[in-house]
Amino acid sequence: MSKLRVVHYINQFYGGIGGEEKADLPAQLQPGAAGPGIALTAQFGEQAEIVATVICGDSYFNENIDAATAQILDWVREWKADVLIAGPAFNAGRYGVACGAVCAAVSEKLGIPTVTGMYLENPGAEMYCEKTYIIATRNSAAGMRDAVKKMAPLALRLARGEKIGASCEEGYLPRGERVNFFEKERGSKRAVDMLLKKLAGQPFETEYPMPSFDRVAPRPPVQDLKKAVIALVTSGGIVPKGNPDRIEASSASHFGEYSIAGLDTLSPDAWETAHGGYDPVYANDDPNRVLPVDALRRLEKAGAIGALHGLFYSTVGNGTAVASSRKFAREIAARLLDAGVGAVILTST
Amino acid sequence: MKLELGYVRVSDVCFGDSSSFRDGVLTLDTEALRSMLLENEKIADVRFEIAKPGERTRITPVKDVIQPRVKVEGPGGIFPGVIGKVDTVGSGKTYALEGMGVVTVGKIVGFQEGIIDMSGPGADYTPFSKLINLVLVITPAEGLPQHEYEQAVRLAGLKTAAWIGELAREAVPSRTVVYETPGIPEGLRRYPELPRVGYVLMLQSQGLLHDTYVYGVDAKKILPTLLSPTELMDGAVISGNCVSACDKNTTYHHLNNGVIEDLYAKHGTELNFVGVIITNETVYLADKQRSSDYTAKLCEFLGLDGAIISQEGFGNPDTDLIMNCRKLEAKGIKTVIITDEYAGRDGRSQSLADSDPAADACVTGGNANMPITLPPMDRVIGTLDYVTRIAGGSENSLQPDGSIVAELQVITGATNETGFNRLSAR
Amino acid sequence: MDGSAAAVLLAVRDLCHRGHRLLTHPLAGSVKPNETPYKSILLSDAAPGTDADSVQLIEKAIAVSDQFGPIRRNWRERELLDFQTVDASLLAAALESAGWNGNNTF
Repeated sequence: MSKLRVVHYINQFYGGIGGEEKADLPAQLQPGAAGPGIALTAQFGEQAEIVATVICGDSYFNENIDAATAQILDWVREWKADVLIAGPAFNAGRYGVACGAVCAAVSEKLGIPTVTGMYLENPGAEMYCEKTYIIATRNSAAGMRDAVKKMAPLALRLARGEKIGASCEEGYLPRGERVNFFEKERGSKRAVDMLLKKLAGQPFETEYPMPSFDRVAPRPPVQDLKKAVIALVTSGGIVPKGNPDRIEASSASHFGEYSIAGLDTLSPDAWETAHGGYDPVYANDDPNRVLPVDALRRLEKAGAIGALHGLFYSTVGNGTAVASSRKFAREIAARLLDAGVGAVILTST
Repeated sequence: MKLELGYVRVSDVCFGDSSSFRDGVLTLDTEALRSMLLENEKIADVRFEIAKPGERTRITPVKDVIQPRVKVEGPGGIFPGVIGKVDTVGSGKTYALEGMGVVTVGKIVGFQEGIIDMSGPGADYTPFSKLINLVLVITPAEGLPQHEYEQAVRLAGLKTAAWIGELAREAVPSRTVVYETPGIPEGLRRYPELPRVGYVLMLQSQGLLHDTYVYGVDAKKILPTLLSPTELMDGAVISGNCVSACDKNTTYHHLNNGVIEDLYAKHGTELNFVGVIITNETVYLADKQRSSDYTAKLCEFLGLDGAIISQEGFGNPDTDLIMNCRKLEAKGIKTVIITDEYAGRDGRSQSLADSDPAADACVTGGNANMPITLPPMDRVIGTLDYVTRIAGGSENSLQPDGSIVAELQVITGATNETGFNRLSAR
Repeated sequence: MDGSAAAVLLAVRDLCHRGHRLLTHPLAGSVKPNETPYKSILLSDAAPGTDADSVQLIEKAIAVSDQFGPIRRNWRERELLDFQTVDASLLAAALESAGWNGNNTF
């Protein structure tokens, strides 16, 4: 039985080239194993061999993702890899992102299985855990031996197309899919043991982490609407025509603050939507549909509300990260509070 | 309450001219059993078959699995309010025939029933492949409405289990376990330092084929209440539920409830197992609220520090499970919930129909949507006619060679939510 | 109404938006959403405003139902009757809880 062929991706440090000062090293290839590849080879025994090692600077990769990835894909193809291993990256952020990106590209574009190793908090872990298999490692190279011990057998099984067990069995970070397996004890016993730990205040691990929600407690209702200043905020992407602040059609990186002072309505000549996630025709025809300036002005004139705030805030909700949204909200809220706004109508799409 | 449960080992089951239980061998005079069951005019015919572990035998469509038991000493009889009189059970001495099951098979509706494979990959997923099963294949009287058929099959299974249990009245148990739950004041006195733990047992109670009975009372109609754990060992809770096969609690599960056994194992040493609180899972939202509020109130009343909550079914009951969990946690009672999952064939969908951050301690019985291929068997007890129609099956389930491609859902007891099995998921 | 169980859920959602309140759980019964040709849900008469709990519950139910995918098979006449019977039984249980004795109106 011929040995399985492995291609290994590592960074400039593990490749023995240099430290941070060499992080701009362009991707290069050398035959055989290097760095942690030696330890992996020992684990493989007769079953596999590292036929080539790709060494790439972390800065170079992150700044030239497309070019570097394309080059690496070519090499992996050329060297007929049965599986690609990257890292382990432990807690090194840029290295983790690079390992994840390389694995994801190889899996997706070449259909070749991939394995890497990272510490749970490595940003690359959250980004790529579903696109490849990330063995959970300790947060520094002190965990190299353990990491290699788990990465090697998983890589071999993936290369052979064998069935992969549940995350806790194989040691990889959960990748968004539930896998059945048999525990040593029955569920009722596991429940009793878990309850005893919970009662004693000891740490325990739930078998099913509930999906996390960010619950916000609602504020008390506005006391007197007739005196309140109401502001409009939208994630529907309404911006002045031409989108002067270049708010992105998706994954917005910032928000805009625009004046509607003296305006009774939003005219389609002066306003448009920047949002890339819905058919813009109706919003462009009448931007009030997404940001109801006309309706609020009518209420203001009728005395139902105190006033419509002269500024509105806009961003695009399409694919925008939760963390970014939180950041924008904090900033917007600060400005609204300074301006004496009492309530906000948030429109989303 | 104190119950001595004697486990009587059954090493073989066979048919013979007369019925007896001797030296572990159960011999059945099927004619006598048949005439007894046919006393119910709603049953037109009943056939008996025996299925043993390791055989290439498939049993389907399964309605219920019951363990024969007999009350040897003490008040009441097995399956009170249904077979036995309504006297309170759970004390004295009871024998359980270990190693066998009574399985009822009959087409009540064209779906929802389950499969038990006695060998092959399917056998790994059901505890009933390890039992010697006496299978009752029941044919209803012509034109019998479904709910009467369901009742007839249910009673037939229980009657048979009780009838067989009687044969073992003089037997010698291979082991005896004493289960004792002191009353509340006595428990406080005996175990002042131990955490007070209760078991909230949620019972399926939505309607036809979705019902459970407590002392013969339809669980739809009950308010949550307290049971001594030993009452379940005498059959106070029986199943009228066949939906879905993988996560329905058979009467066997109620009799041999794993949470009760495992809580008792630590009772008096690491915890004080105060009792069982049964509650229901109804379709009416106001009832759900009433039941969960009531359950939380009872648990608080009992001064519980912690509770294990188990459920039955998916979807609508997930809401009850989360309500119970949230309300108990809000009262400072720490919970562990036991559930199963419907995460899709690829395991990527949301496992539960409801969730809450308070449910931070969860034990799972596995993903019921997991695809599985069951090889053809030499013998089928019942009929394969409905395999394409059962929950977890599809138009293409039954292959020309007799193998079945379906989801884990179709296997009786596969993802049981009282933690009966070792199956889990991550 | 005509349509699949999924269509019923969507119609119920619309009714909830218009002020009707859910009285039964939309996922009642362990027959999975893609396996039953019938689904009955009990709602109250419309009231002013919208019941947030009802809207949340029906939206969640739709999300869960969607993950089960499209209806899986064609049923025979006898099976359709069986499904009707079970669905009716669940509805009967709900009506009883709702205090309906066959004569009163809501």
